[in-house]
Amino acid sequence: MNALLAGHAMRAPHASFGSGFAWAFRRDIALAWRHPGETMLVVAFFVLVASLFPLGIGAESQILARIGPGVIWVCALLSAFLSLPGLFAGDYADGSLEQMTLSPHPMSGWASGKIAAHWVSSGLPLTMLSPLIGLQYGLTLDTLGVLAAALAIGTPVLSLLGAACTALALGARGGGMLLALLALPLFVPVLVFGAGAAEAQATGLSPSPHLSILGAGLILAVLALPSAVCAAIRIALD
Amino acid sequence: MDHTFYLAMSYAATAIAMAAEIIALRLRRARALAAVEEERDLETQD
Amino acid sequence: MNWGYFASPATFYRLAGWMAPWWFVIAVVLGIAGLYVGFVVAPTDAQQGEVYRVIFIHVPAAWMSMFIYFVMACYGGVSLTFNTRMAAMMARALAPTGAMFTFVALWTGSFWGRPTWGTYWVWDARITSELVLLFLYIGFIALANAFEDPRRGDRASALLALIGLVNLPIIYFSVHWWNTLHQGSTVKLTGTSMHVAMLWGMLLMAFSFWAYAIGAALVRARAIILERERRTQWVRELAAT
Repeated sequence: MNALLAGHAMRAPHASFGSGFAWAFRRDIALAWRHPGETMLVVAFFVLVASLFPLGIGAESQILARIGPGVIWVCALLSAFLSLPGLFAGDYADGSLEQMTLSPHPMSGWASGKIAAHWVSSGLPLTMLSPLIGLQYGLTLDTLGVLAAALAIGTPVLSLLGAACTALALGARGGGMLLALLALPLFVPVLVFGAGAAEAQATGLSPSPHLSILGAGLILAVLALPSAVCAAIRIALD
Repeated sequence: MDHTFYLAMSYAATAIAMAAEIIALRLRRARALAAVEEERDLETQD
Repeated sequence: MNWGYFASPATFYRLAGWMAPWWFVIAVVLGIAGLYVGFVVAPTDAQQGEVYRVIFIHVPAAWMSMFIYFVMACYGGVSLTFNTRMAAMMARALAPTGAMFTFVALWTGSFWGRPTWGTYWVWDARITSELVLLFLYIGFIALANAFEDPRRGDRASALLALIGLVNLPIIYFSVHWWNTLHQGSTVKLTGTSMHVAMLWGMLLMAFSFWAYAIGAALVRARAIILERERRTQWVRELAAT
């Protein structure tokens, strides 16, 4: 099935970034739709872990509201991290990744498409669920709004950074632990600014500096990381 | 806790870290040379 | 000039062999000078007393932790662009020394923080990014050694080093962006508000660490060459002597 889909790409008349992106995006969304287990797991993990904290700490609303933004961000980050191996593993194992590399579409196109589809099936659901989780922590509506906005900007950055690390570690010994060692340090700035934005809002300060830096980070990531991902895939396939 | 403690901990840790690195380097070189010897002996056995 | 000549492991091995001891000699000389200036010439600080003398290790180590990462990433970039083995081996040789200086910077910072600001650790911007730098070094080493094929490890870790470069400006500018524990930079290119002897102590120690780092990296690179090239003729003959 995957080979057929890859073959279709090779016969496409216009091989461009856009067509490669659209093809890979549609394909991966279709695959995620047909096998929703992965997305369900990411969402379930997020909800479960985020709910563990109120249970463990006790329902003291002041403490929960204070730690809410940071905790929710950490849970989102860990959930996003757990979904990373699935990004390239399947295609790497059955050879589709090599076939896609040989297609006339520029590599950055279909790689970006895969990453975008990954975000739609992991980061986006987390972002949409975050207000509900935030209510558990007693966060105010404006804080919830900033939290969701920060996640909306930050989770694509996590997907891009995570994709680069996943591609670098394809087929390496050490598996998940190695990926954690590579990805989590790179996630830290996103976490600091993302949680910082919501915390700023909660304490009455302006979240715009944090959100602006997150936005700048997103632009930088979108411009620079797809080529890094492609380079990493090429290294993995050599 | 007087300040000598903090100074001592800092400078001592640095000295230990550098010494540990030098020792590790010597061990690594010794192991590398041993591996070369072993490879050569294995080849002459063939 | 035929740079390719120096890119050959055999040439590099010999060159590094006679250079390395001299770099260590320079490091020791500069270190003694730096410690003399730091402990004998530099006066007691008005506010912090004697404990401030940790800066003669802390600041040079922090500078080296960033500088070594930068050089490591440059070697990585060269190795990817020109597909050379030697550049990749130099990057691998630098990583553990860089990690060591990062650890020293964090440790000495912690023991300076306790008596001066009351705490061993705080999540301020610069300390956190320095900790991230330590993990970047460890990740680099882990990734480089995670594959059967060492060349794959070379390339993957080189790319990782380049991606992680973005952390350096964050460390550097974090003291301007946030008003937390670390004061704004006292040492700028245009001049400094610090006492002259303190500055000289720091500079001498920084150059001492730099010389040490070069020496250590050269020695490690030689060991790496022995490991990687152990099946070549010249290495075999070397071990026979």
